[in-house]
Amino acid sequence: MLVIDAVSKTFGQGSINERRALENLSLTLGEGEFVTIIGGNGAGKSTLLNCIAGVYEVDQGKILLDSMDISLWPEFKRSRFLGRVFQDPLRGTAFDMTIEENLAMAYAKGKTRGLQPGLRKTDSKLFQEHLALLELGLEDRLKQKVGLLSGGQRQALTLLMATIVKPKLLLLDEHTAALDPSIAKKVLELTREIVAQHQLCTIMVTHNMKAALEHGSRTIMMHEGQIIMDLEGTEREDMTVERLIDLFGKKSGMELDNDRLLLN
Amino acid sequence: MKKRMMVVALVCLSMLLLSSIAGCAKNKDTSQVDASKKKVKIGIVQIVEHPSLNTIRESFVKQLKEKGFEDGVNATIDYQNAQGDQTNLKTICQKFVNNKYDLIVAIATPSAQAAVGETSEIPIVFSACTDPLGSGLVTNLEKPGKNVTGTSDAVSAEKIMELAKRITPNITTVGALYNSSETNSISVINNLKTYAKANGMQVVEATVTNSSEVQQATTALVGKVDAIFSPIDNTVASAMPTVVQVTNKAKIPVYVGADSMVKDGGLATYGINYTILGQETANMAAEILNGKKPGDISVKTMKDMDIYVNKDTAQAIGITIPDQVLKEALKVFGN
Amino acid sequence: MTFMAFRGSLELGIIYAIMALGVFLSFRTLNIPDLTVDGSFVLGAAVSAMMCTNGQPVEGIVVAFLAGCLAGCVTALLNTRLKIQPLLAGILVMLALYSVNLRVMDKRANIALMNKLSLFNVLPGISGDNAKTIIPSILLIGIVLLLFLFLKTRFGFVLRATGDNDHMVRALGVNTDFTTLIGLALANGLVALSGSLIAQYQSFADISMGVGMVIIGLASVIIGEVVFGAKSLLRRLIAVALGAMLYRFIIAFAFELGMPATDLKFISALIVALALSGPVVKDKVNKLGPVMKEKINKLQKKISTLRNHSGGHL
Repeated sequence: MLVIDAVSKTFGQGSINERRALENLSLTLGEGEFVTIIGGNGAGKSTLLNCIAGVYEVDQGKILLDSMDISLWPEFKRSRFLGRVFQDPLRGTAFDMTIEENLAMAYAKGKTRGLQPGLRKTDSKLFQEHLALLELGLEDRLKQKVGLLSGGQRQALTLLMATIVKPKLLLLDEHTAALDPSIAKKVLELTREIVAQHQLCTIMVTHNMKAALEHGSRTIMMHEGQIIMDLEGTEREDMTVERLIDLFGKKSGMELDNDRLLLN
Repeated sequence: MKKRMMVVALVCLSMLLLSSIAGCAKNKDTSQVDASKKKVKIGIVQIVEHPSLNTIRESFVKQLKEKGFEDGVNATIDYQNAQGDQTNLKTICQKFVNNKYDLIVAIATPSAQAAVGETSEIPIVFSACTDPLGSGLVTNLEKPGKNVTGTSDAVSAEKIMELAKRITPNITTVGALYNSSETNSISVINNLKTYAKANGMQVVEATVTNSSEVQQATTALVGKVDAIFSPIDNTVASAMPTVVQVTNKAKIPVYVGADSMVKDGGLATYGINYTILGQETANMAAEILNGKKPGDISVKTMKDMDIYVNKDTAQAIGITIPDQVLKEALKVFGN
Repeated sequence: MTFMAFRGSLELGIIYAIMALGVFLSFRTLNIPDLTVDGSFVLGAAVSAMMCTNGQPVEGIVVAFLAGCLAGCVTALLNTRLKIQPLLAGILVMLALYSVNLRVMDKRANIALMNKLSLFNVLPGISGDNAKTIIPSILLIGIVLLLFLFLKTRFGFVLRATGDNDHMVRALGVNTDFTTLIGLALANGLVALSGSLIAQYQSFADISMGVGMVIIGLASVIIGEVVFGAKSLLRRLIAVALGAMLYRFIIAFAFELGMPATDLKFISALIVALALSGPVVKDKVNKLGPVMKEKINKLQKKISTLRNHSGGHL
C-alpha cells in the first residue's frame, strides 16, 4: 500500500541550523496494516508523516502510495487519498462552521467541489448516524459551531472526518497528546474501532509506549531520522514497556531521557 | 466572459508596457536636446488634468510664442503632469533641476511648492496660486526678491457674494463647502466670513477631505442655508456633479470660484479668465528669459474678473438671472 | 436630519453595502487583510465612467465587476504563487492600480458624467429619484442572496473553511491557492461593482475616491456584526449590509452636527475601535457582576464578624 524508498529530508540546508530530520529511511506498509511509531523528540516521526502528507517535499527518495509515485504531488492532491488527524485539536476542523458543515466538507473529499449544495438533508442523517457511534452526544449538536466543542470532542470529530470517506492511508500525528488522559483513552478507543471497522492502513505516531504496543500490529522505533527497531508478530506480543526502553538504550547507544516518553 | 477578462488583462498589460516605453522615449528626447545648447529649456509642471489649469497652460504656450519663444524652434517646452500625486511633483521638479532647465513654470500651488523646494537658482514662474504668501512661495508680493514670482488666481469672495446678491437677493445664511486641507480654499473662506460678518449674514461650514464625502456634506447643508459657496477647491470641483445633483433637487443656488465649476453646474461665479491668466504668466516668463530677475517682478493678482453663469442650473432651481447680469457675463453655459 | 439627507445616506449606504460585502469576503471569510480594495473601488468607478461616456452604462457595470475580479486575482497570485504576504500583496496591487486607473480614465484624474446615460436613467420603467433607491436595493438584495447561496455550496464551504483553517482544507484535498484566488477575485469584483455604481450615482469618477475605502468597509462589517448580530451566515451577510447603511447615517449625523471632515476620520477610527472592543467590554461587565457580589459578601461578613467581636457596639 505504502512504500517509502530511501527518503531523506534536511531542514535549513547550508545554514547553521541545518538538521537532518530523515536519513535514507525506507519503510513498506501492507494492505490494512496498522503501524505505531515511537521515538524521542526530534527523532523525525512527525517529519516522516509530513513528508508522506506532502507538507514537506523530500530531498531524496520516493514515496509510493498504492503504486502511484506521489513524491512530487502537492499536499492537497495527496490529501485526496489520505486521512489525517493532527496533534493540535484546532488544526483538524473549521471552528466557525457547524459540525455538519465540517463533516460535509470531509464527505465531499475526492468529489468535485462546484456549485452543488454543500449539505444535503440526507447527508445530515448519515452524519448523525456516524456521530452516534462516537458516543459523545454530538449527534444532537449538528448545527452547533465546532468552536464550542472541547479538544477531545474536536479530535473525535476530526477522526470521523478523516475516515468518513475511506482513505488509502490514515495518518495520526500524536492525536491524543494534547488531551486529558481519560479523553485521550476514549479517542484511542475510537481510533481502534474505526480502523478495525474499515480495515484502514494506518500510521500512528505516539509518545505513549504502552499505547504503541497495545494498538496495531507493528511498532517502529525511530531515532535521529532512522528506523532503529521494527517489531512484529510474537516478538512484539512479548514486548513490555520496560524492555522497550532497555532496547532503545542499546540500539541508540544512549539513555532514553525523554520525560514524556518515560512518564507514559 | 473569459475572453473579456483576457482582453481586459491584455489591455492593462499593454498599457503598462506602452507607458514604460513612452517614458524611455521621452528621456531620450531630453538628452538629445541637452546636446543642442541654443534652445531655451522650459519645464512646465502641473498638478492635475483640470480644465482651468489646462486653459492656463495652453494660453501660456501660445502667448510665449507671440513673445518670441516657440516650442521646437528656439525653445523646448517639457510639459509634465503629476496626475494628482504629490510625490510625482517632486520627481518632476528634480528632473527639471538636474537637467538644468532655464525656467520652471509651476501651475497650481502644490506644483509651485514642489518647485520652490527643489531649487533656489532656476527661475520659477507660478500660475494659479491663490495665496502665494500663505503657501510660502514668496515673502513679499511687491518685491519677491528670490528666484520666484508668478500670477495669483485669488478670487474675491466679496465680489462673488455681491454677484450672488444680484441674482438671489434674499440670502441670509450661506453654506461654505470646501476641503479644509487645501490652503487656497481657507484664505477665500476667511474672506467670505469677513464679508458675511460685515453684511449681517451667517456662514455654515461643511468641510470635506475627499471627493467621496462631498455628497453627504452638501446634503447636510440642505435646509440650513439659502445658498452654497465653494471656492476654487480641487476636491469640490472634482465632485461638482454630485453637488449639483443635491442642490438642484433642493433648489439651492451654488456660487463657485471658477468658470469650470459653473460649466459643471454651479450657478454663477465672478471669476478668473484663465486665458488672460496664462497670457500674463507668459509675459512674465518672457521677461525673465530676456534677462530680468524674477525677484524684481512683483506677483500679479488678476484685476479683470468675469461673470460666468449657468442657465440650465438657474432653470432647474427655478430662478431667473437678471438680464443685466446675463449681458455682463463673459460666458453663459447651458441652453 | 432632513428627509433628503436620510434618503441620500440610505442610497449611499445601499451602494457601499456591496463594497462592505466584498470586504467581508476577504477580511472575514478568507481572513486576509486585503488592501487592494482602495484601488479596485476606483478601478470599478473608472471603468464604468469611461463606458458611460461611450453610452454603455449597464455594460460598464459588468466590465467593472470583471476588472475588479482581475485585480483580486493579481493580489491572490502575488500572495499564493510568489509568496508575498497578503497585506503587502494588496498594497502593491493598490499602488499599481493607481496608474492603471489613470490609464483607464484616459490620464484624467476626474471624469464628470453629467447628462450621460447611466444605470439610473437607461432602464425602461424606472427612472429619476426612485431609480436611485430601487435599482441599488434590488442589486444589493440579489447579491446578498447569491452570496449566501454561493457560500452554502460545496465550493463555498471550503472557501469559508480556508479562512478558518487552511491546513484542514488542504488536508481535505482542496487547493487553498485556488479558493484564495476565487475568494479575492469575488471580493474585489464586488468592491469594483460598488465603485462603478457610485460613479454613475454621483455622476463622477475621481482618482482619489477610493482613499480609506478599506477602513469604511471594515467599519461597516464590524458595526454590522456588533449591532445586528452574527449568528447565522445569512444574518451575518444582512448585518454587514445594514452596517454599511448605519455607517452612512453616522456620517450624515456628524455632518448634521457640523463636525469638520478632518475630525470624521477620528470618529471612524473610534467607531471601529469601540465596535471591535465591544465583546471584550461585554465580557468584562459580565464578569464584574459576580466579582462585585463576592466583594460585597465578603465585606458584609467582615462587618458582621467585627460586630460580633465588638459585642454589638458597632
